[in-house]
Amino acid sequence: MTAPVTSHDASHAQPHFADGCQFAKVTVAANDRLARDTYRLRVTFPGLARRIVPGQFVMVRLAGLNDPLLGRPLALYDTVVDAAGQVTGVEVVYRVMGKATARLSQYQAGQSVELWGPLGNAFSPAATEHLIMVAGGIGHTPFMALAKEFLGVRSYGQRRVERAGRVTLCYGERSAEYFAAVDAFRATGLDVRLSSDDGSLGHHGRVTDLLRQVLDENGNRGRVVCCGPEVMMAAVARLAAERSVPCQVSLETPMACGLGICFSCVAKVRQADGTYDYKRTCVEGPIFDAEKIEF
Amino acid sequence: MTASPEIDLSVELGRLRLANPILVASGTFGYAREMAGIVDLGRLGGILPKTITQQPRPGNAPWRTIETTGGMLNSIGLDNDGIEAFVAHHLPYFVTLTTPIIVSIAGKTEDEFVEMARRLRDLPGIAALELNVSCPNVSAGTDFGKDPVKCHHVVAGVRAVATQPVIAKLTPNVSDIGTLAKAAGEAGADAISLINTVLGMAVDWKKRRPLLGNGMGGLSGPAIKPIALRMVYQAAQATRTPLIGIGGIATLDDCMEFFVAGASAVQIGTANFYNPTCTMTILDGLPGAIASLGAKSLHEIVGTLTLNPPKC
Ligand SMILES: Cc1cc2nc3c(=O)[nH]c(=O)nc-3n(C[C@H](O)[C@H](O)[C@H](O)COP(=O)(O)OP(=O)(O)OC[C@H]3O[C@@H](n4cnc5c(N)ncnc54)[C@H](O)[C@@H]3O)c2cc1C
Ligand SMILES: Cc1cc2nc3c(=O)[nH]c(=O)nc-3n(C[C@H](O)[C@H](O)[C@H](O)COP(=O)(O)O)c2cc1C
Ligand code: FES
Repeated sequence: MTAPVTSHDASHAQPHFADGCQFAKVTVAANDRLARDTYRLRVTFPGLARRIVPGQFVMVRLAGLNDPLLGRPLALYDTVVDAAGQVTGVEVVYRVMGKATARLSQYQAGQSVELWGPLGNAFSPAATEHLIMVAGGIGHTPFMALAKEFLGVRSYGQRRVERAGRVTLCYGERSAEYFAAVDAFRATGLDVRLSSDDGSLGHHGRVTDLLRQVLDENGNRGRVVCCGPEVMMAAVARLAAERSVPCQVSLETPMACGLGICFSCVAKVRQADGTYDYKRTCVEGPIFDAEKIEF
Repeated sequence: MTASPEIDLSVELGRLRLANPILVASGTFGYAREMAGIVDLGRLGGILPKTITQQPRPGNAPWRTIETTGGMLNSIGLDNDGIEAFVAHHLPYFVTLTTPIIVSIAGKTEDEFVEMARRLRDLPGIAALELNVSCPNVSAGTDFGKDPVKCHHVVAGVRAVATQPVIAKLTPNVSDIGTLAKAAGEAGADAISLINTVLGMAVDWKKRRPLLGNGMGGLSGPAIKPIALRMVYQAAQATRTPLIGIGGIATLDDCMEFFVAGASAVQIGTANFYNPTCTMTILDGLPGAIASLGAKSLHEIVGTLTLNPPKC
């Protein structure tokens, strides 16, 4: 290729179009508070639930309302399996940030939301001796399913991954009351390390301190996956690069459709020729190799 | 609702014939391939891929969209790979579809519009051209759509070289839409589509900055429907050229309002983002809605709005 391709090319870039995407108005099965400003929404949606894999997301919209108008992207937290072992639903965990999440937090079981997905690419299924998950705040949500998958506890969609030798979660929050699902993470059998900005739980400091510690201990092995505020992801990406450990990040650009049709969700992504180009996070992401992102 | 097979949904837009009046608007349906998994593309009356330009354009810096009450502002900035990439990479896919593809083009100058139309002459897979003389997000983008003389020139210029029917897409950011519609019609446009987005702004007062990366942007969605309806009605009074209504359409009722106000067809835009299968729901109900007015064809109900005499 000669001239830098300045945009998204539908046919030869092979992004992850929403080919298996389903749209439905679904009933809220549960909407439980997990921590300060943090809730877990559960819906029954077998068609979607059977396909979705860790790192993918769904769009959730408050059915029938024109304000808020647009859906909101939320990562897969986990799928729901019934007593017969059938995958029947999905769970997302969200933090109250503004209009839509504030309203959603008031929803009761029985109310309706509109939901479409699975959307986006996914975390790499590549085998690793040590999977190190680094989460800042609500960025912990995509790691529940990923942890279970790499620990061999659960599988998702059609993909089968090789059990990782070790799985570690480094999880930082502002303070103790925001930590969600720490017990649930521990129950999966992974190594959980916590940090808080105010020292009220875990290490008093940043989540990057925890990552540095893990890499010191393991001799810079395995690979890192990361989700959280941009400054934090930038710091994690830098540290991983310094230690020559591969790193994937999950970007949280604002989205309007999640389907690849509006071009609002772009991130600056480095191309093979060294130039940067705007890529649609919803179809070419949200998971990117950290070294390709200009933070 | 049960389909009423006896209802004729076909549309004639000058030389362009469509099986039904439900189209999807440029910039709100990607390059259609993205939606193939969730929408039955073959049922749509027509598809307008995202506007292409002569040269590739990276588009504007984020944030590119902001949700506002009942709508959204966008400043995408005609992000596209340029006409050659379109012909090489997207057109081969469109050729495989049965749905008419209406290619939206935007030029910086009249010559560029004409050049692009010439490049697309006779190419298979293109049912018509839509001239985007109305994008608010590129400097000088709306010039042709604001000045009736320039609008006439560019439409006539493209009409002279294009082998496909030509649609002019107008901006609402003018004081007299009738004059513009008349100019486009007289220049030979097969149809006129309206409206593009309404220029707007969102502000973060604490930071004293606009929220969009580009400062201003185009408002779309349910919030603009009354403006669009008013303009379609006004255009229908000013010209006999068939109209395609656009602006805030999301439901069957919305479509019917536009038909009655004077639109022969409609394009669904922002609603594809938040209700991606709405076009299918609309198509399911359309024959029944037309039948409920005692009509046997869509054609019979277009422009049948009568203004009530004011009661005082
Ligand atoms: C792939 C993906 C996965 C995600 N997964 C999760 C998840 O699992 N859990 C979770 O809680 N959140 C997740 N998010 C983030 C979540 O989508 C947002 O927090 C949510 O949309 C907020 O909606 P709201 O209406 O409550 O807030 P809004 O009222 O929309 O805004 C919240 C904040 O974002 C800012 N904002 C608004 N619009 C824009 C814009 N266009 N660009 C930049 N900033 C803007 C506002 O100023 C405000 O501070 C994810 C995002 C992506 C892209
Ligand atoms: C994100 C976005 C991108 C758009 N891009 C284009 C475009 O490339 N070309 C064009 O002619 N119109 C574009 N439009 C305008 C729409 O086609 C339509 O005219 C407008 O949004 C009003 O209709 P709606 O309210 O149904 O969305 C865009 C609109 C949105 C919201
Ligand atoms: S959110 Fe619409 S293209 Fe990505």
